[in-house]
Amino acid sequence: MHKIADIEIQHDIMVANKKLARRNQKIFDKANTFSIDVLGAIGSGKTSLIETLIQKMDYKIGVIAGDVISKFDAGRIERYNVPVVGLNTGKECHLDAHLVEHALPDLPLKDIDLLFIENVGNLICPVDFDLGSHIRMVVISVTEGDDTAEKHPLIFKDADLVIINKVDIADAVGADSDKMVADVKEINPDINVIKSSLKTGEGLDEIISAIDGFIKDR
Amino acid sequence: MHELSMANAMVKTVLDVAEKNNATEILEVTIEVGQLTMLNPEQLKFLLDVLVENTLLEGSKINIEEVPVEIDCKTCNYEGLPNMDGSDHYLAIVRCPECGGRNLEITAGRECNVKTIKIEQEDDADASGSE
Repeated sequence: MHKIADIEIQHDIMVANKKLARRNQKIFDKANTFSIDVLGAIGSGKTSLIETLIQKMDYKIGVIAGDVISKFDAGRIERYNVPVVGLNTGKECHLDAHLVEHALPDLPLKDIDLLFIENVGNLICPVDFDLGSHIRMVVISVTEGDDTAEKHPLIFKDADLVIINKVDIADAVGADSDKMVADVKEINPDINVIKSSLKTGEGLDEIISAIDGFIKDR
Repeated sequence: MHELSMANAMVKTVLDVAEKNNATEILEVTIEVGQLTMLNPEQLKFLLDVLVENTLLEGSKINIEEVPVEIDCKTCNYEGLPNMDGSDHYLAIVRCPECGGRNLEITAGRECNVKTIKIEQEDDADASGSE
């Protein structure tokens, strides 16, 4: 004989990821490591910004460099003699808390004050996946078009700090960087939005002092 | 394209629970997907259909229920649905429909939940393994 049963599962995959993320954050807190999820479009300057900050900031910095199938970004960071783990997602378009958890044993967290977790270049998929970082920094640039923010509101709604990069070439690509700032502020009124150019150095001091502020306020 | 990993996680969850409950057949699965998740229900359904081949889930009815977005306005205390105009979710998370305030918390619409399954099991099977 057979019988039919209705079974409540109520297993939310987003909630499961969030639990793992909280566990990651506890690991960071225990090691006294401040962690930043660096999100942004492909080619917006995420890796370049991390390279610059490694050189300019007085913290012991470590990096998790997420990429789909290459170790190019990790290779770039290695040149600065800081601890780095390359994290390949395979076919996936984002990092998740579980992947980050697996990278943590390969990092000397006790010797890292500030950990950058460079996400896969993508303004859509990573939004759904909290990694357990203390803040989310979103890097976009004028070359993606000045409608980038209004087309991807959710990533800016969840962000703590937004960088609009490559403003030195805004005119050349016909983008209005002030519009991009205004669009982000429309979505997230209280957020700090910094216009930068890693070429000219514009905005760099502001980025550093914003990150310092987050670390002090932790 | 993270529908694939989500679909994989869902299939695994369902098969685990079915096995714990000695299911001989899975008749129906109900999944909730929030409107603000970056998941396309059509793509999700397609991938689920592919992934269930040669598993106990093959032939099961898969229901995908969309969960509407709900907001909590910190300015006027409005709680409920935002102004959604079809496919555009921009306004929904930006402005309160009551007071126009922008200090909003999203309280629903980001779920990706394997909600229930209906299974056939041997009569003497113990269903206490369900969560």
